[in-house]
Formats: sequence, C-alpha cells, structure tokens
Amino acid sequence: MKKDEALIFDYLLQYIAPEISNILFKVSKEKKRNIEEIRLRNSFPLMVYCEGGDYYVSKNGELTQNEKDIFIVNKKLLFKTFQLVSNYSVYAFEEEIRSGFITLKGGHRVGIAGKTIYGSNGVETIKDISSLNIRVAREKIGVSDKIMKYLIKESDSIYHTLIVSPPQCGKTTLLRDIARNISDGMPNMNFKGKKVGIVDERSEIAGVYSGIPQKTIGKRTDILDGCLKKDGIIMLIRAMSPEIIVTDELGGEEDIKAIYEALKAGVILISTVHGKDLKDIMTKNNLGELIERKVFERIIILDNSKGVGTIRDILDGHTFTSVIY
Amino acid sequence: MIILKIIGCTLIVLSSSLIGYIYGKSYKERLENLIYLENCIKILETEIMYGANPLPEALENVYKKGNKKVSFIFNRISQALKEHKSGEVLECFLMVSDTMKKNLNFKKEDVEVFTNLGRTIGSSNRKDQEKSFKLILAQIKALQKEARLEKEKNEKMFKNLGFLSGLAIVIILL
Repeated sequence: MKKDEALIFDYLLQYIAPEISNILFKVSKEKKRNIEEIRLRNSFPLMVYCEGGDYYVSKNGELTQNEKDIFIVNKKLLFKTFQLVSNYSVYAFEEEIRSGFITLKGGHRVGIAGKTIYGSNGVETIKDISSLNIRVAREKIGVSDKIMKYLIKESDSIYHTLIVSPPQCGKTTLLRDIARNISDGMPNMNFKGKKVGIVDERSEIAGVYSGIPQKTIGKRTDILDGCLKKDGIIMLIRAMSPEIIVTDELGGEEDIKAIYEALKAGVILISTVHGKDLKDIMTKNNLGELIERKVFERIIILDNSKGVGTIRDILDGHTFTSVIY
Repeated sequence: MIILKIIGCTLIVLSSSLIGYIYGKSYKERLENLIYLENCIKILETEIMYGANPLPEALENVYKKGNKKVSFIFNRISQALKEHKSGEVLECFLMVSDTMKKNLNFKKEDVEVFTNLGRTIGSSNRKDQEKSFKLILAQIKALQKEARLEKEKNEKMFKNLGFLSGLAIVIILL
C-alpha cells in the first residue's frame, strides 16, 4: 500500500504543466507519500501542503520553508495546467467549473479560483484563473474497521451516525470507509452487507470519473454523483430503495428537510459536518436542532491531535456520553 | 528514323501535358480538400457542442467519421495532445501545418485559418466555442469561394498550356 502512494503523486504530475511537474518529480519519495495538496497561485511560490504544514518547493524539488531559490508560478503555467486538468476541453467541464472544481481520474480534485463571470443562471464560468489547488485523494481502506463495532446495532442494523471534524482531518475518508464496510458486510462481526446509497454532491466520496467510482465504496452501493443533497436523498429513496444513505457535509436548511424525509422513509443516515466538537455544531442553525432532537444516535468526533484522522471520541446521541470501551 | 522522331515528339507532348495537368490538379485538390476540411470541422463542432467529448477524443472521432484524405491531420493532433502533455493546443495544431501545405495542396492562408482554431478551441465554454466555430466556418467558406474561382481560371489554362507548349516545342524541333 505504502509503495503505491508515491506513485499516486507521480500519476498526478501528468496534469501539471511540465515546467512544474519536472520539479515536483524530484521531490523525495518519502515526502511524496504525504503530500496532500499542491497549490499553484499566480506570481506566488509553488507550495505543497504536507504533514500538517505548508512548504515552498525549491528549484531542485526540495521542500523548504525559507524563501530562497524557490519556484514561482506564473500565469502561463497556471493556464497550461488548467488546460491539462480540463483535458483541453473547458466546454466539457462547464458544470464542474461552475461549482469550482474538476474531478480527475483517480478521484483527485482540482479546485479553481479566479474571476467568476455571472450569467442568468448564477455563476457561468471562471476566467483569469488565479489559483489551482490540486488535492491528492488518498484512500485509506480499513480506517473504519476499528470503530464499526460502535456503529452496529445488535440486530443487524446500523445507528444514525454523524461525523464531526475540522477540515482536513479525514472525515470524508472515514465516511467512505464506513460506507464500504456496510455495503460489503463484515463477516467477522456477522454483519451482512446492506444496500447503500451515496449522494455525492462534490464527487468527493466516490470520486466518480466517467461513470466509474474511483474509490472502493462497496459492492452494494449506488451513487448519485454531483447531485444536491436535497434532491439526491429523495431521488435515491424513490428509485434505489437504499437501507442506508451516506452524504457529505450537512448544513443547509434544505438538507435538513431532506433528512427528515429520509427518516420518514425509515432509511438510516450517515453523514459528516464541519465542526470542532459537539458544542460547536450545537450552535449551528439547522444542525443544532437535529442534534437536540436526537436524530443521530452516534456522533464521531475527529481531530488531528495524533495525525490525520484521529478518532477523539464517539458519543451516544441520546446521552452525549462516550461509548468507547 | 521517323519512328524515333514520332516517339520523341509524343514523349515531349505527353510529359509537358502531364506537367500542365499536375499544376492544374493542385487547384482542384485545394478546393476538394477545403470542402473535406469544412466537413471535418463541422463534425468537430458537433462533437464539442452536442457530444461534449474531451478534445483529444473529439479529434479522434473526427478522424473516424470524416474523409480520411484530410481527417488524418485531426488524428495527428489528437495523438500529439495525448503524448506531449504540454498544455499547448496551438503547438499541436502547428505541427500539422507543414503536412497541410505539402501533401494537401493547402495555401498558406488556408493553413493559417485552420491553425487559428488551435488558439481558441477547448479553452472556453460552449457558447464561446460556438462563436469561434461559426467564424472559422465562414472563413473556410470564403476560402472555398476563392479556390473555386482560381480553379476555374487556372485548371483548364494549365492543362491547355501544358499540351500546347509541348506542341510548340515539337514544332520548333521539327
């Protein structure tokens, strides 16, 4: 597994302008395994985010924190990279560009920032690209194995679960792996696989690329890719009869409405939300209400105190006490 | 002796007619190829506007669907895009400009109109792409008109000129 991770990084380099990718290719294997983001900003240094901090990249491919002899990205290189990322076909990615990112083969995501142009239907396109953020998608199969025992109800069913985590602490990774475990089933816990529906609003969970999920998400999983949660949850219930619905990043008022809709249909929900801890999310408008009504029976709290994806606590949604034993 | 003379004369007349024919043919070919090119670009437009296929794939499809006599240049561009990974579309378009001039009898301005497509294609949304396709198709239509006029004027003239100059040489020699 470890060996592949440096290769994933090298694979991504084909989407970056050769002037930059030649430099990034020289980065040591050890670092390549841990790089999470490659950041390109117009007339600013090339930066990578790695092991919880950001680094400049020197012209020899070393990661450094002093500003000497570092590589500066220019507009031309940004444009070239954008061309490669969009496969020279901006017209084919109109929808994606409107939402601000493009998903690459392998589920990696490239975020785009620049001058947005408004049309009659909201954001029409982004021009004069000023920043690109290439996020390396790392799949950690098995991260949820240890916690699945807290999520399984005794009678072959699952608890409604909410994952609370600050950004970049691995909540989507955990969510994906939970979906995989539920979908494939866990013979050692005597848990049979269940039908899972994923509403993948930002193509992050399954990383679908031309119709094929690039991540391991289980064999009983149906994915609505690029679909808004409020529409997707209802569409899935109607069309695919899932037993469990998995979505990312709850928040909007309409998301919450759709969740009540799903509860009515007897579907079990597994979702994530941005937040530091329980207190933090209780203050959020619509979400606080969901917690108070005790919709979620298990609340998993993540942070990166012991590296990305540390599970700080798992709470019972009724008593708000830890269930870890 | 007379037989030799006759053979020599016919050879001269034949070869000079052939030269005239080849010269004349280049005008005919340019017009034909411009028509094929227009068709190819129309296919490309459909691929992009309605198929929303990524550019390398769209170009490959043009090669498959279009007249192979011209459409092979689209395949070359597609291969170049896939292999080079440089992020430069225009570069890949310019790579075929020599072939277009030498093998397809295109004139400099034809090649320029075509390679200009490399500046705009793929780099904007569908609405803008449509506009640039409209522009290039109009330009090619104009070139076709010009090529047709030239063909009518020159094709016959070169053919006749070849034959007649052959005759003239023969007469002078005799």
